[in-house]
Amino acid sequence: MATIAPGATAGDVTEAPSAPGPGSVRRREILEWIGVHTLAVTALLFFVLPFVFVLLTSVMSDQQTLTTDLWPRTWEWHNFVDVWHTAGFATWWRNTIVYATAGTLLTLVSSIPVAYALAHFRFRGRNLAMMVVVATMMLPPQVVIVPMYLFWAKQLHLSGTLWPLIIPLAFGDAFSIFLLRQFLLTVPKEYVEAAKVDGCGDLRALIRVVLPMSRPAIAAVALFQFFYLWNDYFGPQIYTSENPAAWTLSYGLGSFKSAHHTDWNLTMAATLLVMAPVIVVFFLAQKAFIEGVTLTGVKG
Amino acid sequence: MSAARHHRRLAAASAAVVLALTASACTGSSGGASDDPNAKTTITFWHGWSAPSEIKAIDENIKAFEKKHSNITVKAVSNITDDKINQALRAGGPKAPDVVSSFTTDNVGEFCTSGAFVDLAPFMKKSGIDPAQTFPSAQLDYTQFEGNQCSLPLLSDAYGLYYNKKMFAAAGISAPPKTLSEFDADAVKLTKSSGDSYAQLGFMPDYHGYESTITHFASQFDATYFDDNGKSTVADDPGLTAAYVWQKGLVDKLGGYRKLEKYRTTFGDEFGDKNPFMTGQVAMAIDGEWRGGMIDASSSPVDYGVAPFPVPDDRAAEYGKGYTSGTIVGIAHTSQKQNAAWEFVKFLTTDTDAVVSFSNAIHNVPSTKAALASDKVDPNPAFQTFLKIAQNPHSSTTPASPNGGAYQLTLQNVGYAYESGKNTDLSGALEKAAKQIDTDVAQAQ
Amino acid sequence: MTQAVTGTRGRSVQRPRTRAARRRRDRLRNLGFLSPWLAGTGLFFLYPLLATGYFSFTHYDGFTTPRWTGLRNWVFVTHDYPFFWPAMRNTLWLVLVVVTLRVVFGLAVAMLVLRLKRGGGLVRTLYYAPYLAPPVAATIAFVFLLNPGTGPVNVVLGHLGLPQPGWFNDPTWSKPSLTLLALWGVGDLMVIFMASLLNVPREQYEAASLDGAGALGRFRFVTVPHIRPILVFAAITGVIETMQYYTQPLIAGQVASGQIGGSGQQTEPGYPDGSTLTLPQLVYNLGFQRFDIGAACVIALVLFAFSMLFAAVLLRRGTGLLGED
Repeated sequence: MATIAPGATAGDVTEAPSAPGPGSVRRREILEWIGVHTLAVTALLFFVLPFVFVLLTSVMSDQQTLTTDLWPRTWEWHNFVDVWHTAGFATWWRNTIVYATAGTLLTLVSSIPVAYALAHFRFRGRNLAMMVVVATMMLPPQVVIVPMYLFWAKQLHLSGTLWPLIIPLAFGDAFSIFLLRQFLLTVPKEYVEAAKVDGCGDLRALIRVVLPMSRPAIAAVALFQFFYLWNDYFGPQIYTSENPAAWTLSYGLGSFKSAHHTDWNLTMAATLLVMAPVIVVFFLAQKAFIEGVTLTGVKG
Repeated sequence: MSAARHHRRLAAASAAVVLALTASACTGSSGGASDDPNAKTTITFWHGWSAPSEIKAIDENIKAFEKKHSNITVKAVSNITDDKINQALRAGGPKAPDVVSSFTTDNVGEFCTSGAFVDLAPFMKKSGIDPAQTFPSAQLDYTQFEGNQCSLPLLSDAYGLYYNKKMFAAAGISAPPKTLSEFDADAVKLTKSSGDSYAQLGFMPDYHGYESTITHFASQFDATYFDDNGKSTVADDPGLTAAYVWQKGLVDKLGGYRKLEKYRTTFGDEFGDKNPFMTGQVAMAIDGEWRGGMIDASSSPVDYGVAPFPVPDDRAAEYGKGYTSGTIVGIAHTSQKQNAAWEFVKFLTTDTDAVVSFSNAIHNVPSTKAALASDKVDPNPAFQTFLKIAQNPHSSTTPASPNGGAYQLTLQNVGYAYESGKNTDLSGALEKAAKQIDTDVAQAQ
Repeated sequence: MTQAVTGTRGRSVQRPRTRAARRRRDRLRNLGFLSPWLAGTGLFFLYPLLATGYFSFTHYDGFTTPRWTGLRNWVFVTHDYPFFWPAMRNTLWLVLVVVTLRVVFGLAVAMLVLRLKRGGGLVRTLYYAPYLAPPVAATIAFVFLLNPGTGPVNVVLGHLGLPQPGWFNDPTWSKPSLTLLALWGVGDLMVIFMASLLNVPREQYEAASLDGAGALGRFRFVTVPHIRPILVFAAITGVIETMQYYTQPLIAGQVASGQIGGSGQQTEPGYPDGSTLTLPQLVYNLGFQRFDIGAACVIALVLFAFSMLFAAVLLRRGTGLLGED
């Protein structure tokens, strides 16, 4: 698992010293430098400009939003406050935090033992179990949504709440199980054996020895799950649409423009308010994030 | 125990569970009309109104009801779409609504046949209400399906022409157009191009343009959609075809589909303050009677006039008619408090004072004979125009069908393809649409 | 038979002495650790999957009890439902275009960042950030940016005298617009590729250039063979993600069409002109708008079949996915 330290010079990944004549080398290096940096700046514009324009529009006045002006004439910072006070926004915020936090905690508690078992226990059907994990990981939620909705709504009358989304996480989340298991495979058996010699049962060994060693992986999995739940649209759309008091930020934002008959300025302000927490947390937890991403892909 | 036997028992157990869960998922719970209407209770009322003025109006209506029936508290939920109604009615349970209202008459067919709404005839009989005496026949018609009166009208809508008086004067137009050829000419006169867009557009004919839908237009052409056997007639109906052809002609006269569509993307929300008619982006619009109230309540500078929407030249004698529809209200089959719910529905739909004051507040057409005749109805001439349109004998609505408004979507899709020029074979498209509509109806049964 | 043994912490531990006893203990332990997942898989995967299969052969509207209708729903979906084949074609388009472009663009950006000697870290962060934007927020932002009438992109194009496409409102441009949105969020692939590129041994580059290989040759014969597994992994998971593509096309269609979906309005799937339809959206349309639960389950099964097909491909090619210890 390779960690990428910021600024690590891998500048000559595909580059090698050679070529005849110091003059032409110099010129070629300068041209390459210019080329690379031009491309980098162009790409930077592509990735960053959308945020910039969203911000500029979010502070425009009502009059200005439907015009083709690019730069705000007045800076209506109160738009953000207006959006916050729009019916439901604070509720959506609260619901999303509850959903993402409770969901993440439940996921961790339920997925870690399963991942551990799949990594370290030998039993018949282990490969089958792993295949089922991968299969459920790749399963679009729409495949099973219809009977599941009927079950939660008609049997348990829990539609209009977030419970149908939170409760299943107490039974493990396939993606988290997969990631954790991949990581736990790399924990040498000797640690576990040593703990067992000391008299620990498997559960104790897991909790006291393996978990402390797995902090980066657990942090990465927690972050992934948190943001997956924060960004979830389909789940809340199906289960909470009939009860605005249970809406989350994603679903509320999707309905924001139509429900409040607003213009683009307020809609962009709302969009920023929904994007911002994720980006802020990312900046604070960059290393864990990137480590987690490499955990998923570099295998194989 | 051997592995094989273990697996077989596991399989059998899970199959049993699946069957049990699936079977019990199927039967819904049903309520009953056995509650005491005089007991203290709370009922839930879902409605589709969302503008602040409308919500204020319905809340006042509710307060008036609660004063008369102090034992019943009404909890109202606003901005409910038909999807949510459908979901909640199927789920049932304590959070499901008792009384539901919808802006569309389309789903009445589905609500009645599926039993989602209860038949209100027994309730009316118990309360001594004769529906034929109380409600205009058109309103009664679109709230029932195949003899089952599962809903009642809660105010009606009529569509007409809104026009910007100042722009009319500037273009030298002295009176609103009465025929469609006059209308087309006026629309062109009122259109001012500006580069590859418009400084002012006479009328937005595109089918995505809010209330510019094929069913609203086709009403002027006396289009029919189903025959007596429930089979679709859209392939042969001359009125419907003429409507599509007229609209396409107007699209071309005003600058073509692409230019119009691009202009349409600069419009604000239909029900917000930036409605294109209210900002002066279009000079004329087809809209419902509620629009006047919205303009009055807003800061829009538009000095608006109202008239019936023009009719085809060969139907000039029918001028004064328009497309009508209305809000419907019904009692959910899953409600445990149907008697209390009926008291509320009865108040909303038949109490003349309630109907008139609600109608004045949200500028909708009153839906009872008594209310229409009342002298308390808003005398605003624009509003009175719509009352006349609603009561015009030639005015029509779109019929209900067992699968809701699906056929209207099919016809809109024909429109989208035809107005953009993607499909130039209109009769072929309508034949396909007729087959599609019939298949969809069959599939829904 | 067990024997009490005093452990090093002075506690008494029962140690199973016979192999059978040990195996029983192991099986109980396995069950204990796995039981939540087993129950969950049964309840939230197996049961609904079987129920979906069952419902697909019935007519069920959510009110009355399901009625067996055999293959009628299957015929309806494949023959009479006008949105099914456009959705399949769209999925094929999205798979071919979006997955390919994301992999290529992601690799290009990864290589670009690795060549930046100074500021590489900051640039990498900025390139990655859009990936985190919640899909709803990102889609709404892009619909606004690409609004044909007032959006900044067309305003700038207009100033430059270039043609201004209809973006999300034009059937020919709606999928390319979604592609732009997908490329904006390429950060996750970029990071994976960067890690993979860094793992290529440098000596091989040196050896190759000593052998006379230019930049292109080094790329072809040194870089690609080493990163091929990760490229394949990215492609296959990309296909699986595309099968699930739901939120972005749905929101884009809704917001761009301006239809507010209020009470009494018809919802038009796949605006404009069915060009943004995807199979998951059809499940929602049939199951939660038309309440034709049988037909919705047919589409759900089609979706299931395709997803499992590609999952199987991944399992066979993606060595190390199952892993061993």
